[in-house]
Amino acid sequence: MGAAPQISPDQRVAEFRRVFSRAQTEVSRVIVGHQEVIRKTLTALFCGGHVLIEGVPGLGKTLMVKAASDALGLSFKRVQFTPDLMPSDIIGTQVLTESDGRREFQFKPGPIFAHIVLGDEINRATPKTQSAVLEAMEEHQVTVFGVTHTLAPPYIVLATQNPIELEGTYPLPEAQMDRFLFKVVMGAPKPEELREILNRTTGVQDAHAQAIFEPGLAPQAIEDLKALVREVMVAEPLERYIIGIIGACTPGGVGAIPEVSQYLRFGPSPRGAQALILCSKVNALLAGRVTVSYEDVDDAIVPALRHRLLRNFQAEAENVSSESILEQVTKRLKRPRA
Amino acid sequence: MPNPVDIISNSRNRIAKVAAIRAFVYALVPATTALALAVGLDAIADSTWEVYGYILYPAHAELLSDAMVIVAGVCLAVGAVRALVAYRGANDFMGAAGQIDQRLDGHEEIVTLATLADPANLDLGRARRSPLFPVLWRHAIAYLEGFDPKLEFELEVGEPIRRSSLLAAVIAGLMVLATLGLARPPTPAMAEAAKLNKIAREIQNSATGPSDIALAARARAAAAALTDPKLPPEEKVKRLQEVMREIESEQNQKKNQEASVGAKGSNSGAGKSPDLNAKGQSKGEGKGQGTGKGETSSVNAGNNESKGSNAGSGAGNGKDKNGSKDKNGSKDNSGSASASKDKDKDNANKAQNQSIELQNELKKAQAQIETESAKNTAAGQAGGNHGRGPQPGESPNEKGGGDRLNQNAEGKIPRPGTQGAKNNSPAENPRSNPDQGSNLGDTHLGETPAARNYQRYLKPGEKGDSIDIRDARYVMFRLPNAIPSAGTGKTVLDTERPKATTPYANVPLAPTRDDAPPDERQLVPPRYRELIH
Repeated sequence: MGAAPQISPDQRVAEFRRVFSRAQTEVSRVIVGHQEVIRKTLTALFCGGHVLIEGVPGLGKTLMVKAASDALGLSFKRVQFTPDLMPSDIIGTQVLTESDGRREFQFKPGPIFAHIVLGDEINRATPKTQSAVLEAMEEHQVTVFGVTHTLAPPYIVLATQNPIELEGTYPLPEAQMDRFLFKVVMGAPKPEELREILNRTTGVQDAHAQAIFEPGLAPQAIEDLKALVREVMVAEPLERYIIGIIGACTPGGVGAIPEVSQYLRFGPSPRGAQALILCSKVNALLAGRVTVSYEDVDDAIVPALRHRLLRNFQAEAENVSSESILEQVTKRLKRPRA
Repeated sequence: MPNPVDIISNSRNRIAKVAAIRAFVYALVPATTALALAVGLDAIADSTWEVYGYILYPAHAELLSDAMVIVAGVCLAVGAVRALVAYRGANDFMGAAGQIDQRLDGHEEIVTLATLADPANLDLGRARRSPLFPVLWRHAIAYLEGFDPKLEFELEVGEPIRRSSLLAAVIAGLMVLATLGLARPPTPAMAEAAKLNKIAREIQNSATGPSDIALAARARAAAAALTDPKLPPEEKVKRLQEVMREIESEQNQKKNQEASVGAKGSNSGAGKSPDLNAKGQSKGEGKGQGTGKGETSSVNAGNNESKGSNAGSGAGNGKDKNGSKDKNGSKDNSGSASASKDKDKDNANKAQNQSIELQNELKKAQAQIETESAKNTAAGQAGGNHGRGPQPGESPNEKGGGDRLNQNAEGKIPRPGTQGAKNNSPAENPRSNPDQGSNLGDTHLGETPAARNYQRYLKPGEKGDSIDIRDARYVMFRLPNAIPSAGTGKTVLDTERPKATTPYANVPLAPTRDDAPPDERQLVPPRYRELIH
C-alpha cells in the first residue's frame, strides 16, 4: 500500500478531491466542454468500472481518453474494433520464439494489457471478439491457451460506439452492456465550445495534459484512492432507496411504476445497484463528505442505469427512451427518511 | 462538546412525546366537548323547555348524558391508544436522526451516523464502520452544535385542535339532533315537575342559608316523586303533602322568630295572618320604639293590610306575598333605615315569594294527580274487569283500560256533544299564561292536543243523541272482534255453506268422427326395420 495509512482520513478525502479536480482540469485543457462526460469517466475510473461512451464520430472521444491517461500517468492502448478483428488481436497470443537454440511458445500480450484501453466502435466487431473482452472487464485477467494472465490495476475499458451507421454492426449483448459501469452520451458541442475547439486544434500550439503523479506512482496512488471510495459509508435508508430504485425499474418488481411495466422487458441487474452506490460514494467524496446523500444517488441514476434497461418493441416504436423512464422513476420514488 | 448519539436519543424521546401528545389532543377536544354536553344537558333541557315548550324526559336525558359520557370515554380511550401507538412509532432512533437531518440539511450524515452508532444495534454498527467514521463523527458534532431538541421539536397542538374540532362539531351536532329527536311535549305531570325543578334551582341560586337549600331539595324531591312512574298516585299525593307541610311549618317557624324579634325591640306588637290559605282581610298593627315590624303574610289571593307605626328609630315593614294589596302604615317612620336592611328585606321578600310559588305549584300538582286518579278510578269502576268500549273522557293512550275485546260489556255511553277536557281550567293548567298553549288544541307553541274525550257511534239498538259530527276532530272506527272459539269440541262439517256447482248445458254436442283411413304409412327408419316385424 502507499502512503494512505500514514495520513489522516480528512487528508485522504482532501487528496481525493485534489486529484480528481486536477485530473478533470487537465483533461479539460485538451477537451473543450463535455464536463459531465469527463467527470463520469473519471468517476468510473475511481470506482473501478468501465465506461461505454456513445457519440457520433469526431467529438473527441479518443482524445479525451488519451488525455485522461496522460493526466493520470497511466498506460493507454487503443483498439479499433472491426468486423475482422479476432480475439487474439485484442488479448494476445502465443508465438513461437527461439532463444538459446530452444524453441518455445511465448505469450505476446495484446492491447488489452494496459491501464486504460480504448475500444473504438466496439459494436463493429463480431460477438466473438466482443466477448473476448468480457473476462478482462469483469475479472481483470485473460486466459490464453490455458494460462491466465492478470491485468495490472488500475484497469479500465472505455468503449465507444456510434449511434449512427448501424449497418453491419453487432449491437452489444445485454450481458456485455451490463458490465459497463456507466454509459455516457457525448453530445454535439455548443457554438462557443466549437469555437474554442477550432482555436485549439488549428493553431500552432497543441494542448497536452500534464501528469498529476510522479512517474511510476500513479497506479498505486489511484488504487489507494479507489480504496478510499469504498470506505465511504452509506446509511440504511439510502440502501433502501437504492433498492427501491432497482425495484421500481424492474417490470413486475416491487414498486414498479406503470411506465416500467409498459415499456421495459427487463430491468437493471444487481450490478446496477452496485454502480449506483459506487458512483454515489465518489460524488460524496467530491462534496467533501464521507457519507452518501440522496443527491449523490440521484446524480448517478441515469448514467448507471440507462444502458441496463431493456426496452420492448412498444417503447422503441413510441420512441420512449430509457432516460425518460428513469426520470419518471426518480420523480415518483419517495425518499425514506428513516 | 455535544455527543451526537445523546442528542439523537434526546430528540427521539422528545419526538415521541410530542407525537403522543398530538395524537391524544386529537381525541381530547371531542372528549371534552362530549363531557361538556353531558354536564350541560340539564341546561339544554331547561332551555328547550323554556324556549320551545318541549321537555326532555329524565329517562331520555339520562340516556343522552350517558351516551355523551360513553362517547367521551371512547374518545379518551382511542386517544390513549393512538398516543401509545404514536409514541411507539416515533420512538425510533433512526427516525429521529432523519428528522434532525431534515432540519439541519445534513445531507444524511446524521442518519448515517445513527445507522452506525445506534445503541440498539451497536455491534452491527461497529462492524460496518469504516476508517472514515471519525470524520463523520466530527461532522455530526459540527452539525449538532447548539442543537436543542426541545426548541427544534416544539409541541404544536393548533393543527390537532383544528382538525379534531370537526369531530367535536359532529358530536355536538349529533347531540343536538338527538335532543331534538327525543324532546317531547310534556305531560302535565312532567310540566309540573319541570316547574318545581326550576323553582328549586332559583331557590338554591338565591339561597341565603341552609333552610333555603333544604327547601330546594324538597322541591326536587317533590318533582322526582311527581315523575316517578313506579309510585302510585296516592303515594305521590302523600309525598307532595309532606313537602307542603314541611314548607308550611318552616314558614311558621320563620314568622314566629321574626315576631319574637320584633317583640323584643320594645315594639307594640305584630299583626299576622298565619293562615296561608286564608282569603280575606287581616290586619296587624305594631307600635313601639326601636325596631318594630308589622307584617302580614298571605299566600293566596286576598286583601291584606298591615300597619306598623313605630316611634323613634324603627322600621315598619309590610309584606305582600302574593300580589295582594298591601298598605303599609309606617309612613311616619322617622328612624333611619339603612341600605343593608333594605337589601335584607328584598332577599326575604324574594325567598318568601319563591316559597309561595313553590307551594302553589305543589298544590297544582296535587290537584292534577287527584284528578287523574279520580278519572282512572271511575273508569275502572265502570269497566270492571270485563272490558268495555271507549268511554267519554278516556284517553285511548292511557293505560288500564281493561279488556276491550268484549263489546258486550256494560260501559258508559258517551253523550254526543260532550267535551271531556275538564282539567283544562286555568287553575289546573300548568301554564298560567293562556298564550303559552293549552291542551285544547292550540298547537302554535308546540303542544299536541291529546284526545281526552271522544265520541263514538251508537251501537245497533242503542238509543241516544245523534253525534254532532261538525265538532268531531277524530273519528275512530272500530271493527268487531272475532269471536274466540271455545277451544274444545270436535270438528263438525259445515254442510250449510253455499257450494260451487258444475254448470251444464241442456243440449249435448254431437260427437265428431273421422273414419277416413290414413293416406300413407309411416316409414320405419332403416336401422329398426330388422327389429320390427
